[in-house]
Amino acid sequence: MNEQLGAALAGEEAAIYAYGVIGVHLDSDGDVAEARAAEQAHRQKRDYLVGRLSQLKASAAPSPAGYELPYEVTDRATALKLAIQVEDGVAQGWRPVLPVTEGAERATALAAMTEAAVRATRWRRLAEVAPATMPWPGRPD
Amino acid sequence: MVLTGAVREKWEIGHSRRWVLGTASAVGAAALTGCGLLDDDEPEPPKAPDPLEPLLAEALALATAYDQAVVSQPGLRTRLAPLAEDHRTHAAEMSRLIGRPLASAPVASASAGPATTVAALRQAEQAAQKTAVAACKVAAPDRAGLVGSIAASRATHAEALR
Repeated sequence: MNEQLGAALAGEEAAIYAYGVIGVHLDSDGDVAEARAAEQAHRQKRDYLVGRLSQLKASAAPSPAGYELPYEVTDRATALKLAIQVEDGVAQGWRPVLPVTEGAERATALAAMTEAAVRATRWRRLAEVAPATMPWPGRPD
Repeated sequence: MVLTGAVREKWEIGHSRRWVLGTASAVGAAALTGCGLLDDDEPEPPKAPDPLEPLLAEALALATAYDQAVVSQPGLRTRLAPLAEDHRTHAAEMSRLIGRPLASAPVASASAGPATTVAALRQAEQAAQKTAVAACKVAAPDRAGLVGSIAASRATHAEALR
């Protein structure tokens, strides 16, 4: 389970980093509020995972100081594209936690995966990407 | 438990190979059940309904509800057709896992009913998400990811209908 939690944590940390970049390129109030809320949510999940791994006496790999973004984020369009990609990635990070957990812990993982998938859909709508949904959120492409 | 090998084959009927080979625990449970069956020397009791059945029925009902909505309001096709398609994809995968062809699946029309407004569809998605969340909580490990993705997908549908 530590391995899966560690992977989910890596996704959350990457998301927190990415939203720092994304936020700079958004200017409408709606976009900015959405990005802030998302970043806050990812910080909470990160804290949960760090706490859980600590309970399990597992050491998570230290988060990298920086990330190489898949492309240059220069404007709203590339910022939204990255936001979509980041949320899809977070959902994919959480899905493998489901089979290795049960009860309340699995419910927490499912909630985290679902929230990321819902944010990905919201970003797709804001970016006018269709379809805004997918059949298997969290399943790698 | 020495009978595990034979029992496993028996259990495999109606299930996809991937499902059976997927987890050690599932095979273990199957073996336990099988031991009982062989000891009793009685005809196999009717199989309990697969826990995915209610989710499958819901997916088919939702797909039908979207179809009905598009028929009565063709302008909504672009928005609703992809959601119906997601449900059909879910239904196909679940029926494969259950080991029953989709054609013979009962179509629950009662719950779909007159859900033809976007608001009603959204409500139906939210209710269906709850069913899937509850199912995910108690799902066997080899199905937790699948059911979890279905729950998340239904949540994104509700979001897309806002």
